[in-house]
Amino acid sequence: MSGTGSGPGGDAETTSDGGFGRDRPQRSDGRLDSERRQGTPYTESQVIMPTVKIVAPFAFTYGLFVTFHGAGSPGGGFQGGAIVAAVVFMIAFAFGIEATRQWLANAAVVALAVGGTLVFAGIGLVPVALGGAFLQYELLPIPDPVKYGMEGVEILGIGTIVAGVLIGLFFVLAKGFSDAGGFGDGGAFDDEVGNEPDVGDGNESDDGESTGDDGNETRDDNGTDDGQSAAGATGPAATDGGER
Amino acid sequence: MTGAIAGVASGPLGAPVVAQVTAIEASLFVFVVLTALFTALARDVLAAVIIFGAYSLGMAALYTFYRAPDVAMTEAAISAGVTTVLLLLTLAKTTRIDHEAAFESVNLPAAGAVGLLFAGLMLTMADIPAVGSRDAPIWSNPDVSQWYIAQTYAETHVENTVMAVLAAFRGFDTFGEAVVVFAAGIAALIVLHREVFA
Repeated sequence: MSGTGSGPGGDAETTSDGGFGRDRPQRSDGRLDSERRQGTPYTESQVIMPTVKIVAPFAFTYGLFVTFHGAGSPGGGFQGGAIVAAVVFMIAFAFGIEATRQWLANAAVVALAVGGTLVFAGIGLVPVALGGAFLQYELLPIPDPVKYGMEGVEILGIGTIVAGVLIGLFFVLAKGFSDAGGFGDGGAFDDEVGNEPDVGDGNESDDGESTGDDGNETRDDNGTDDGQSAAGATGPAATDGGER
Repeated sequence: MTGAIAGVASGPLGAPVVAQVTAIEASLFVFVVLTALFTALARDVLAAVIIFGAYSLGMAALYTFYRAPDVAMTEAAISAGVTTVLLLLTLAKTTRIDHEAAFESVNLPAAGAVGLLFAGLMLTMADIPAVGSRDAPIWSNPDVSQWYIAQTYAETHVENTVMAVLAAFRGFDTFGEAVVVFAAGIAALIVLHREVFA
């Protein structure tokens, strides 16, 4: 895109809104500076998408290995859970956050985080019910109770908590503040995430697509959150859903 | 490779112990210090976040060299990976301002105070045992380190002492930490006025 980035052009304009940049014309060189560019962190890349397709299965397997083999080698639930969560981040960056959000149901994320906490507490409380102390693995009614009690805590407890919470933090931070009053146009951002490719094209060609994008914002501001995701998923989500 | 730079530290009995610093370690030191400085000084927040990720990667490599792979894995996954991604996600929602200067102007009194603190800390370096020294208290202590190293397998049937300490010997602390991670997720939902993660 070096051809379009001929000059800084827009950023020399003075701003009328206290320097917040909302009235500024968008930069021609496609840097993060322009306000329209802010809501569009996703662009389909022919390099990133195949790379993630190849790397993700190995990274996911490595995350599981680090989790499950933590008793015999460096690693454990915390590290493995973080690697598993990072795989989801990779997929989201390659194929779009909104598409990944729909692929990975909220129930799965919540089940990981809550289930992990319950399993950890449960493994701790079983010995208490049998008359021992909290997390007194010797009393667990399984063979080799100390080893497999620890494995259970690491794999089903810590690993799932960390993976679930990190994935959830990622999605909730990408979605941002929910109230329209909070940071101005929080609802508008939701829509822009869904319509990424259109806005990306608008940045490079002309202003016609940008006005169309504004029309989408007003439409989706009336809807609920779930309605927005479904409505805004015409771009990357539709194709990705087909691939998986 | 070894012996490129020799750092001298005095051993516990006053005898100087020469710690060999390999060229790779030395370059990692320089890399980590430089990236830390640039993180603090960079005026553009996006640049600071990216340099901070590089700093974390350097620290992870350094931990690996000092045979702390568990810490290195955590640093690489959490600090270099997850934290950088979460910061970038948040930055994508802000407006990026063009700065004329690439670096912050340094506040001289603050720099002086930091320099004094740094000098004071460096004065204590002479009394710290050399890296890998068998006489270092952290290693030679028979009641703590050596006990765990000797007893972990007999008591827990796992080979990784770090995991045994985390999950068994001080499992209750780890339970508290896991609940803190869970609470952090809930807190993010509350702060952002959301009811669902995905």
